[in-house]
Amino acid sequence: MTSMDAPAASPATAPFPIRFTGDRRAYWRLLTRGAMLLMVTLGIYRFWLATDVRRFLWSSTEVAGDSLEYSGTAVELLIGFLFALAILVPIYLVFFLAALDIGPIGNMSGALGIALLFILGQYAIYCARRYRLSRTLYHGLRFHQQGNAVFYAVGASLWWALTALTLGLALPWMQAWRERYKMRHTYYGNVQGRFAGAGWRLFLRGLPLWLTVFLPFATGLVVLGGAYDPDTLQIVLRHIDDDDVMIRLAEINPDLFDAIGLAIVTTAISALLAALLYPVFQAIQLRWWLTGLRLGQMRMQSHLRTARVYGIYLRFVAYMALFIATLSLAAVPLLMIYGWLLGGNDVSILREAAAASLGLGIYVVAMLGFSTIYQATVMLSLWRRGVESLTLDGLGTLQQAAAAGRPSSAIGEGLADALQVGGL
Amino acid sequence: MTDGTGIFYDGVTSERRDVTIMLLARTLRAVDAQQRIVAEWPYEELESMSAPDSVLRLGRRDSPDTARLEVRDADLMAAIDIKAEGIDRTGGLARRQRAVVTAWIVAATVSLLLVAWFGVPVIAERLVPLVPAGLERRLGDAVEMQTRATLDTGGAGEDFECGRGPRGPAGRAAFDKLVARLDAAAGLRNPVRAFVVRRPEANAIALPGGTIFVFAGLINQARTPDELAGVIAHEMGHVAHHDGTRSVLQGAGLSFLFGMLLGDFVGGGAVVIAARTVLQSSYTREVETAADTYSVDLMNSIGADGSALAAILTRIGGATEPGMKILMDHPDTRQRADRIRAHAQTARGTPLLDAGDWAALKRICER
Repeated sequence: MTSMDAPAASPATAPFPIRFTGDRRAYWRLLTRGAMLLMVTLGIYRFWLATDVRRFLWSSTEVAGDSLEYSGTAVELLIGFLFALAILVPIYLVFFLAALDIGPIGNMSGALGIALLFILGQYAIYCARRYRLSRTLYHGLRFHQQGNAVFYAVGASLWWALTALTLGLALPWMQAWRERYKMRHTYYGNVQGRFAGAGWRLFLRGLPLWLTVFLPFATGLVVLGGAYDPDTLQIVLRHIDDDDVMIRLAEINPDLFDAIGLAIVTTAISALLAALLYPVFQAIQLRWWLTGLRLGQMRMQSHLRTARVYGIYLRFVAYMALFIATLSLAAVPLLMIYGWLLGGNDVSILREAAAASLGLGIYVVAMLGFSTIYQATVMLSLWRRGVESLTLDGLGTLQQAAAAGRPSSAIGEGLADALQVGGL
Repeated sequence: MTDGTGIFYDGVTSERRDVTIMLLARTLRAVDAQQRIVAEWPYEELESMSAPDSVLRLGRRDSPDTARLEVRDADLMAAIDIKAEGIDRTGGLARRQRAVVTAWIVAATVSLLLVAWFGVPVIAERLVPLVPAGLERRLGDAVEMQTRATLDTGGAGEDFECGRGPRGPAGRAAFDKLVARLDAAAGLRNPVRAFVVRRPEANAIALPGGTIFVFAGLINQARTPDELAGVIAHEMGHVAHHDGTRSVLQGAGLSFLFGMLLGDFVGGGAVVIAARTVLQSSYTREVETAADTYSVDLMNSIGADGSALAAILTRIGGATEPGMKILMDHPDTRQRADRIRAHAQTARGTPLLDAGDWAALKRICER
């Protein structure tokens, strides 16, 4: 289904309407070097690593023979982050002082603070997308994003609340609302985007998964509700610390004992099913999202196969297993040193500090390894497979755009980073 | 003059134009199919933009527009590389720039670590006297709720405090008498509120603003009222020196440095907590010595036996549990004990508690 009006000027350079040209090994090198530097610089290097990663992904994505260009710089991100700190520090200070105030204000300030930070996080996500789009060039023209970030933040927060209250059933409509708002305000030059995906389509495809995951859990809850017995529960709660509390429960009320056992088992089954079915959900959502994207007359269709997504996660699991095995072997002597440091009766501060540093070191290596492997396997492969799964229509739109929009500031990225809601 | 072909985007429309590229003496010129000059860029303004390895994507440095010139011909790329200072296809230039940046980041990291190690304690030290008594008390109340929840692992609630059982009132009265005598002599700006709590460890902790928790384990281990009083006086030293407040300020400073400024790049607060453990434990040594000195001075001033603190410290020295080392956070117990003994005067005057009160106090935690 290649486009009929593909660039007539250079047919030879456009054998694929869209493809991914990145070299996996180059990406690994970039990430492992970045992880080392993150460790040495206690994370300050993250602005440079994020910029490198985006340059790689953007320039490896080729539409009609020409690659995207990421024109942002690490220094912009750093400055944006420092600005974000200047905004956040007074807010945190106010909440810190309010929390000291015992009574209703102090109690409320916690919940209020979390709600406010959540909304601020959504605001940051929208602004960060604005920054990234305005640093994305194709054929020498910028993308840009308009729209009201505060409106988006409040709307998205309300949708999140509804999604949580409906145990995820409202998620498809939330996604549709968010994508519609974002894409309606997305422009390539003067060409406006939109989102054509409908919430109910995602709902219908996701519902079997939702039912499969929640059915065992719900069964357990219903049985537990049926066996509810406040008197027995009182006794159990009073002796919750005793070792034989479950044995006693089995004697007093065997029905409740069985119901609790069933609830534990069904919850475990639900959790296992959720983990096993997650790639299916991700494939469904990715297909739905990609197929819904529109830019002017350009439409796309994703044919991403679920098996591919399973392959991606299997690869991730295999790499993680290898990494954990290696790390465990390396950690054995270190843990022996750790034990020796803390073993004596009169442990000195120096030893304690050395032991804490050692533990910290192992933890940091483990987490950095995890994030590197995740980025190099899951992130890269989802991007690549997502791109490769696409067929494009109406590419001519991209040839008829005129410049519009200006580069926007990176404060949103900084906020997202400081609030730890950042994406790529 | 070298010629070659390229693709030109003018930054105004998305039109893709095939151009002929001419390398003139000082400028790079792009000419379109109609022989019009579409770009004439000085070499010193050329900048290599992010692109796949097989493409040289040129832009103009500091230019407001986003015009781009793309070259895919290896020979032409090499020729441009030679002419333009700012273009280096081997990547050597980029590597050198990145090395400089990395060196700066590492220097910034070292400086932040120095701030954490030396700066944070100094700043906290300066701020502590500025905290008003009322605020310190509120801070203490907030910390107290947290601490109670943390210590009260059995969920005893009200009953977590000793002295509420049938034998309680007598023990409680004796305990209050002991504390009141120390408090009167100390004259702190926030009066001390001391409680005995059901914890098996031989320990005691002081919170900001004057709340002191004495653990039941310490009551069991104490052989004389003066030993217990010595420990309480030590904790009052922490209150008098605002050590709890300072430690909260230090903790906030370190959380800020490691949590926000540096970014929680590995997720979770574990790094922050570990960093705080390392750094804060390095702050504690002098603080403990100062509290010991305060205890001995206070005990001397009321005519009690200041060296009793040394006796109980030596007895429980090795018995504290890991992770619960607030009183016994301290290495070199022997050194501490020696210093206390050298400083203490022998007891004179009336004992702090008579035998009956002491016996009642020892049973304060019986239910």
